[in-house]
Amino acid sequence: MPTANLSKAALLMLFVVVVSLISWEYFWRHKGFGIAYNDDEGLWAKNRADVYQPLDKATVFIGSSRIKFDLDIPTWETTTGENVVQLALHGSCPRGALVDLGNDENFKGKLIIDITEGLYFGGWEDQRIKNRVKFYNDATPAERVSAKVGFGLESQFVFIDKELFSMSALLADLRIADRKGMRPDGIFPKKFSYTNFRRQETMTDEFAKDTAMQRQVTNLWSMWGAHSKDHGITGDTLQKIFTEAQTAVSKIKARGGKVIFVRTPSSGVYWENEPISHPRAEYYDKLVSVTNCTGIHFMDYPELKNFTCPEWSHLTHADAILYTKGLIKILEGQNWFAKRN
Amino acid sequence: MIFNSYTFIVFFIIILVLHNLPFSWKVKKINLLLASYIFYAAWNPPFILLLWLSTVIDYFVGRALYNQENVAKKRLLLVVSLIGNLGMLCFFKYGTFLLENFTSLVNLMGADFHPAKPNIILPAGISFYTFTTLCYTIDMYKKESKPVKSLLDFSLFVTFFPHLVAGPIVRPPQLVPQFEIERKATKKQLYDGLLLLSLGLFMKVVLADSMLAAPANDMFGSQGAVTALDAWTGVLAFCGQIFFDFAGYSTCAIGVALCLGFILPQNFNYPYAAIGFSDFWRRWHITLSLWLRDYLYIPLGGNRKGNVRTYVNLMLTMLIGGLWHGANWTFVVWGGLHGFYLWVEKFIDDKTGRITALVSSHKKTIAGFIYALFTFFLINITWVFFRANTFTKAGDILKSMFGMQKGEPLLSTLAIIKVAVIIPVMLLFHWIMRNTKVLDAAYKIPWWLLGIVWAVLLLLLIWSQESSSSFIYFQF
Repeated sequence: MPTANLSKAALLMLFVVVVSLISWEYFWRHKGFGIAYNDDEGLWAKNRADVYQPLDKATVFIGSSRIKFDLDIPTWETTTGENVVQLALHGSCPRGALVDLGNDENFKGKLIIDITEGLYFGGWEDQRIKNRVKFYNDATPAERVSAKVGFGLESQFVFIDKELFSMSALLADLRIADRKGMRPDGIFPKKFSYTNFRRQETMTDEFAKDTAMQRQVTNLWSMWGAHSKDHGITGDTLQKIFTEAQTAVSKIKARGGKVIFVRTPSSGVYWENEPISHPRAEYYDKLVSVTNCTGIHFMDYPELKNFTCPEWSHLTHADAILYTKGLIKILEGQNWFAKRN
Repeated sequence: MIFNSYTFIVFFIIILVLHNLPFSWKVKKINLLLASYIFYAAWNPPFILLLWLSTVIDYFVGRALYNQENVAKKRLLLVVSLIGNLGMLCFFKYGTFLLENFTSLVNLMGADFHPAKPNIILPAGISFYTFTTLCYTIDMYKKESKPVKSLLDFSLFVTFFPHLVAGPIVRPPQLVPQFEIERKATKKQLYDGLLLLSLGLFMKVVLADSMLAAPANDMFGSQGAVTALDAWTGVLAFCGQIFFDFAGYSTCAIGVALCLGFILPQNFNYPYAAIGFSDFWRRWHITLSLWLRDYLYIPLGGNRKGNVRTYVNLMLTMLIGGLWHGANWTFVVWGGLHGFYLWVEKFIDDKTGRITALVSSHKKTIAGFIYALFTFFLINITWVFFRANTFTKAGDILKSMFGMQKGEPLLSTLAIIKVAVIIPVMLLFHWIMRNTKVLDAAYKIPWWLLGIVWAVLLLLLIWSQESSSSFIYFQF
């Protein structure tokens, strides 16, 4: 092929690529989607690097998805004048993050651990948290630079969102029926929530209003065991979890750090069954007691107990603001904030 | 740094600009050398010291080997070089493996020996650059080529970033002369290079990572027994994944080098259209096959010392080739199976000559196609040992594949559909393209069609949003 024709082919390629990407971006924006970030290892590690702020400057949060939805970072930061470092991860067991912070000699700050009993006392090693801790500790210089370039692109383009708009995600949206005996993959509505650069997960207003989408999510929770009344783990496995938490918390406290446990609200079928599968006295209360920490259970405080989660597990954005205000008020009573006490 | 990362895109644009600025050739070479060190250090900066050590030792030992006339001293120098290169490889790659095997052996003999497990990190690409430097010193010993004139050229030969961490494994005569005279890509080379880079990234990111990695990983990582459908789907997914991953890397490497005006040797030539196993090894990881042939099989005696020695040499070469891929007995068995296939094929071919006739014929015949499919089937059996971490797992998968045990369904319908579409299309593509080159085929289509195909490759690459997973062969 003559070089002139190769030039023409390259120009045509460039034209098609640029036009297609602009159209693709416009299409998703037109559908009502905004800028969001991939909640991947790079974003977690970027936030993990912020945990070394002094005791009077920041609070680190670990947990599962509930605290990511329920804690409104702007409300916290404007009200308290202190920063939030959000390290919770949806669908994960935060024990790996607690052990990581416990072993980090340089972490001497304030830590709030959100407990979702089914996940915290699940009894498995959470590979996703492990991967994030490993990325924070061992990422190559190239991986760190790539993550930063990725943040820059994600801050500009809606379509760069692996969970929603990657080829795999779009193929999964075809919802091809699986064979008998298989546990289907969970596909959340695209408008369920979005993650920002500080790793806050926000429920969209459309989702908060749309009962069909809410039912789609509650169906997923049901499929994954929300209706289960089976008693959680017991015996040595449970004892190991208590001992592990006790060790990590002691290390943090010995360095001058502070630790508090919270139990964020759940409702509907989840709240009907969680106290049966994981009785409070055997799990949450015992964890708080063996670690010699304070616990803030939503049922113990009038300002926290009356929320309703539209899909049984997470608060709407409006309620997250109220929950955060309520939590701050309770924490003030615990002398959590240096400046405000 | 990996080709499929944002970091590489930024890095490559800077290198491309620098290489096209009006600097002297020496400055451009220094730029390329520094860039290659940055490319390597972007993984793990301390390991750059190993690369320097290997480069400096082999540069000076190579010169001395070439000029030394005293046979005893010459042999001593060769031994120094071999110990230096293979010693590093053995320590970093096989240290843990050797200790584990030694421990098992002495415990089997009744001793109670339980040493602490060493925590040795494998430097990226050590197997590749060790083979690159080894072939230089062996060539110098045999006076098969002249010593490289400057340390700069030799360092660039060893370190040139497109081939540094996963090949193609280059020989001094293939690359060193290209550093001696000023080179800048022609417009055509630049387009060819960019097209190959796009194709390589498409193979790696879209096909290997986005489509095939998950079913392969899920099946090989499963805990219990799986159904025959899942086992076959997982193995076929891996057979596609490893090809698209490694051939994708090689295609990127060749494309990147071409954009800078350098030509690297071809590393893959539609291996799944191979008619038989000799043909397969002429098409799969070609530069490694040639290296093993020239620096292991032929020095062992090749086929010059009778039939029995030929068979032994063949098997030894394949077993060592297997071990080169990883410090695990499963890789040795993988190599051994290939050696066994080559034995059987050679035996039949020596008696009938039919396989040579099929391979050497450029016509695509039904018999050739059937034998190619049979070859593909047997190669998939070998991939089970290549990918499974243990023999127990490999045995489990083979039992499932051949209906010798029942299991639970594992893979989603979507995953099965992906594999069922991609693998036959890949096979068909390999068969159609068997006797041609991808760029030749691209030039035969109208320019507007080439432009659209190129755009589709790039769009799928961007839409797949799989940006940073490592290439499988980096671990080797």
